[in-house]
Amino acid sequence: MSNKQYEILALTLRYWFVLLIIYIFAQCAAKTIRGIFSSKSVPRSTGNIPFILVLFSLTAFGLLSLQDPGGISIDTALLGVLVSAVILFQFYLLYYLFPGLDEVMLLSVDTLAVLGFIMLQRLTPELALKQVEWFAAGCAAMFLVMLAVPRIKSLGKLIYPLMAAGPAILFLVAFFGEESGGATSRIPIGPFSIQPAEFAKFIFIIVLAYSLNEEKTFRQKLPVYIFVIASVLGVVMQKDLGSALHYFIVFLFIYYISTNDLLLTIAAAGAGAIASFISYKIFAHVRVRVEAWKNPWADVGGKGWQVAQSLMAMGSGGLIGLGLGLGAPYIIPASRTDFIFAAICEEFGILVGGMVIGFYALILIRSMQKAFQARQPADMLLACGSAVSLSIQAFIIIGGVVKMIPLTGITLPFVSYGGSSMVVSLCILGIIQGISMKNEWLAHNMETEFDQDLDEMINDEGDEQR
Amino acid sequence: MKYLKRNIRSALIVLLGLFVILTVYFYYNLFLYSDRWFSDPNNTRVKVDMTNPSIIPGSISDRNGKVLVETRSYKNDNGALTYYRSYHKDSRYAAHVIGSKKYGIGAEALYVRYLLGYDNNLFERIYQKAFLDQEVGNDVILTIDMRLQKFISQAMGKSKGSVVLMNPNSGEILALVSQPSFNPSADNEDPADESLLNKASYGRFTPGSIMKVITAAAALESMENLNDYVVECKGSTEINGFIIKCYDGEAHGQVNLSRAMEVSCNAYFAQLSLDVGWKQLKKTAEKFGFNKDFLFSDIKTSKSELPINHKTDAEELAWSGIGQGKVLVTPLHMALVASAIANKGIMPEPRLIYGIQPRSGKIRLQGHSKLADATTPEIAQTLTNMMVNVVENGTGSRARTKGMLIAGKTGTAEVGSDKNPHAWFIGFAPADHPTLAIAVILENSGTGGSKAAPLAGSILREAARLGY
Repeated sequence: MSNKQYEILALTLRYWFVLLIIYIFAQCAAKTIRGIFSSKSVPRSTGNIPFILVLFSLTAFGLLSLQDPGGISIDTALLGVLVSAVILFQFYLLYYLFPGLDEVMLLSVDTLAVLGFIMLQRLTPELALKQVEWFAAGCAAMFLVMLAVPRIKSLGKLIYPLMAAGPAILFLVAFFGEESGGATSRIPIGPFSIQPAEFAKFIFIIVLAYSLNEEKTFRQKLPVYIFVIASVLGVVMQKDLGSALHYFIVFLFIYYISTNDLLLTIAAAGAGAIASFISYKIFAHVRVRVEAWKNPWADVGGKGWQVAQSLMAMGSGGLIGLGLGLGAPYIIPASRTDFIFAAICEEFGILVGGMVIGFYALILIRSMQKAFQARQPADMLLACGSAVSLSIQAFIIIGGVVKMIPLTGITLPFVSYGGSSMVVSLCILGIIQGISMKNEWLAHNMETEFDQDLDEMINDEGDEQR
Repeated sequence: MKYLKRNIRSALIVLLGLFVILTVYFYYNLFLYSDRWFSDPNNTRVKVDMTNPSIIPGSISDRNGKVLVETRSYKNDNGALTYYRSYHKDSRYAAHVIGSKKYGIGAEALYVRYLLGYDNNLFERIYQKAFLDQEVGNDVILTIDMRLQKFISQAMGKSKGSVVLMNPNSGEILALVSQPSFNPSADNEDPADESLLNKASYGRFTPGSIMKVITAAAALESMENLNDYVVECKGSTEINGFIIKCYDGEAHGQVNLSRAMEVSCNAYFAQLSLDVGWKQLKKTAEKFGFNKDFLFSDIKTSKSELPINHKTDAEELAWSGIGQGKVLVTPLHMALVASAIANKGIMPEPRLIYGIQPRSGKIRLQGHSKLADATTPEIAQTLTNMMVNVVENGTGSRARTKGMLIAGKTGTAEVGSDKNPHAWFIGFAPADHPTLAIAVILENSGTGGSKAAPLAGSILREAARLGY
């Protein structure tokens, strides 16, 4: 297909893509809103959303497969089919296996992931397949988390090893990790390089939920404080200040929700503010970020380059984008990871960009509902801790990309390229889905059957693996 | 742990609030700035490769259809077409308006959205891709008149400064000149640094006495019995322990507002600004566009500043009231101030794009829009009467022109003891039914009355002769 034919196709299909995403978002939002205002629980139904999503993925990959004037790229087209198959398999397997599954949340996540795959295919085709593999691995991990979460009533003594493990991982990485992009946050394992701070995030949420789930005296809470301070310090040691901010804010939320201790929360927030100020004074790259945030145009060629490029990408995109493959999102530094939001805005338009934010809001609302319906404090904290974590992470990075707050390099959950981030984000989603299932089972007073069900399921899972 | 549910609800509200703020910020900023970000010279997405362009950029012409820049091509040795931007020889008279892609200034850089046809609808874009050998952008028709550009450039000669001539009702800029200038067609020469700066919109100068128009507007808005407000001017007046001199130490005697405007009495306006107070002066000035980030769609500009607040002492306030001190203004903004007075208090948005001429079909005219209500029609009329008096009897008398009643105000901005002052003139004509508004600044050239006023008069005469 010649360049011009591709351009005509891409220009026209912009409307199609925006339409499909709007449709998916509107359906998900309508279901969520109905869920908020109706007293009875809304019977779950998938509608046609999974197929619309598959249609989106197939047309987008189909379009990208025509991009090369030399001929149709079969690999790209097949990847589109693979993505569709993975999405459909994942969705319907979980949907029919788990009656308590929140289908809207899962579809929102799948839509975000598909957007990520498409952008990745467009930016760096070699990495797209890898990302789909990570997604599949993440889904398997999520499946296990979903099975485990409803069964665990308390961590018991296991909590102390976990409390030690989290910060220990972080400190080890800080000393022995590989440096990339100013942060020492990666550890090479075989052919991969993983980002342990992401996995420590998972431990962080679990430890906080299970240690703050009952009223305790200050002395009893002391290990929690030490754990939090050590974790945050560990991330700061990696010079990964975005993650440090993320950990800290998640702690503030969970701490306030579980203890209702406004005074100490505000004191901690104040201490965090002072710490940020000190890090501003100590770390040169933090000062650079703040300056670039204040006015990226003052030094477009240098400090402001990243943010300015991101703004220019979004400004070029307009309402419905330049068209898939017609923009130049590869100009933006780190367009695969930190700046993927700007890349999406450039080629799919800012309407889709706004809906990406909307999907995170939907995930937030629905997970908070699960937390609200949960019967046990630990479950409530698990669900809302996970929700806070995903939301704050999305907020920090999108806020940085659109120049609302200083940029801190963290990934956009479910969308950015990165195996660790994808797997952990899906595991965190698994926690929420697990609580959702537990709520559903408890609501039907099937506590006795509940355990049998689980045993069966675990056996099924074992069969599958064999 | 009964508070858990309540706290979960508050956490949800806080986080949703964050997302709402993020979304609003995202869209609001894009709404305001996306065009600027798109046309930013650093945005390599829209850079044109002239040797093998995918889209041929359109031409730029003045309001009479005189083509100033267009894309031409020739066959090179291999028989392939090579494209280049060809500038009309007169384009150097409008160098800052036309600008240059290389330096990211002017129409060439700022209007790429039109020149490359990004503003075309889907059907036109598909038609071009499907049926034309080569895609073409749209032609941009500017509001400037090259005859006036040339006249003004030549009248200014070698003197540094800037002139902005516009229609006060529609905001269309008829001429915008900034000196020193450069030659857009001379691609190889490196222009001197200052010559690339469009002083009309980016140059920030001390306004001097033209600021008195704003001070007078503030007084007219807030003070009763202004007719009885009289100050004794002895040439050099001591106010609150500091001394303000009138130009050349001339004593004006007993002056009221109209007389003070006519002779540009510093003592009067210094005292007046103290009695008006910083709050009112700032309020009026901000209605006239001071301290505002103007985000015009057709032209980028710096901010005019009046940095006064509750900490400002009497001396600083008095200096601000007569346009000295830390006040800084752009010539374009001063033309807008003149326009607002001419246009019954309504400040128009300045326009540089007259219309867009697509490949086929009618010109798409750009609309006019109101920028702000600067003041009331009554105050605008009072200011007009005083400004007519300035030209008829006062410091602006050298702008006087036969057959046309001009309203104006001169300014002589002191910029250090070892340098000549900046000469300013702002005004409009004909005073009873204005169709032209002007701001003139000649840097370090002398007094406004002797240097800027005659130039402004001759420009207005020429513009009237041409039918504007």
